[in-house]
Amino acid sequence: MSVVREALVVLSKDLRLEWRTRAAISALILFVLSTVFLIVYSVAGEDLQPRTDAAMLWVVVVFSAAIGMGRSFVTEEEQQTATLLRLHASPGAVYTGKLLFNFLLLVTVSVLAVASFVFLLNVDVASGGLMIATVVLGALALAGATTLLSAIVSKTRAGAAVLPILLLPLLLPLLGAAVLATTAAIDGSAWSEASDHLVTLAAFAGVTIAASLLLFDQVWND
Amino acid sequence: MNRSYPYLRTAILMWVTAVIVGAFLLRIPKMSILEHTARNLYFHVPMWFTMMAGMALSAFHAVGVLARPGREHDLRSATAAQTAMLFGVLGMVTGIVWARVTWYQGTDIWWNFDPRQTFAAMSLLVYAAYFVLRSQIDDIEQRARICAVYNVFAFTTVPFLLYILPRQVTSLHPGAEGNPAFSDITDPRMRLVFYPAVIGFIALFWLLYNQRVRLGRLLAAADRTSSEHDRSLAS
Repeated sequence: MSVVREALVVLSKDLRLEWRTRAAISALILFVLSTVFLIVYSVAGEDLQPRTDAAMLWVVVVFSAAIGMGRSFVTEEEQQTATLLRLHASPGAVYTGKLLFNFLLLVTVSVLAVASFVFLLNVDVASGGLMIATVVLGALALAGATTLLSAIVSKTRAGAAVLPILLLPLLLPLLGAAVLATTAAIDGSAWSEASDHLVTLAAFAGVTIAASLLLFDQVWND
Repeated sequence: MNRSYPYLRTAILMWVTAVIVGAFLLRIPKMSILEHTARNLYFHVPMWFTMMAGMALSAFHAVGVLARPGREHDLRSATAAQTAMLFGVLGMVTGIVWARVTWYQGTDIWWNFDPRQTFAAMSLLVYAAYFVLRSQIDDIEQRARICAVYNVFAFTTVPFLLYILPRQVTSLHPGAEGNPAFSDITDPRMRLVFYPAVIGFIALFWLLYNQRVRLGRLLAAADRTSSEHDRSLAS
């Protein structure tokens, strides 16, 4: 099988398993909703600047990713399906499949976060297209950073618990660019002003995915 | 290497001493606000250059771990990261104290949001996470490999943090948006001490790194000998 087909097989396997148990997605949804309600309560109806809204949105998304994404490789080790996966697919295919799966999860989480901010915190997003572009690129960059790291933490003693420690410092470029782009989307600025930030997001996604593809081999095969 | 090392060590220590003496005694051009605190330039900036050089060395040896597995590259990678962090912390402390008496003069604050400072702090956190990861894996070979992967992965984000992003955001640091570049504001008289300071502190890094690597090798050899000794006693 070609790498692309192998990757799609890994992706469909993960999607099917996820659909049966809905463990990861329900945990993520509940985490996002609980956090947003905490924010709503803490803010207590005060008017917030677009920059603050954007910052809180991405902090919520990043923390959801740090807490919810740790399990993707850990379950393989626990259920002892890892060996089977190693036999059937090349490392690049396994990585790409997991990356796509994480990307879909993170897009869902981000859309949910944006929706809850719009409804619960009365954030008025002026430029919808820019918001969608930011969410998609941001989720891709986040998935790129998270997938390799979740493979790394599956080998540690503490497992998924150590993922936030490894992940959060690396996400600073992502966070900065995403918050600035989201602020531009809420303000309704032209695309040309936010293009700098979108390019940074895309570049970050490209760099992390390229580095992960090269390094994943070393983590996967022991 | 072993023969010339004592001479090299003496030379480096004398060089750094000369740099420190020169930093405090030589004249500097008169600058508003900064005045004599500008001498901190000779320490603050070389510390960061040294940290970046150390991190590059650490990443280089991390690639070495992946290419040729074994204890040596792993030891060098970890030692370089450790020593680089020391210089990074020193760079951060010199920066905080300097900012307190210049940028934040008259206010009561120690830390304000300055992009380059925040990015530098995050770099330190990235490498602190590297050491957390090292403590989390028990198997020696696996630890070397996994930590090398994290090291290389983290190093690919460092150029973003330390170079690209600070130039895009407004900041009080020179070289950021709205400020002249660093080379525009360094007087030739200051460069006389500044360039030797950069060389001196990188050489000091190498000295510390070298000693710690050799210490690490000795400790590993002692471990092996004692475990062999225990085994031979048990049989």
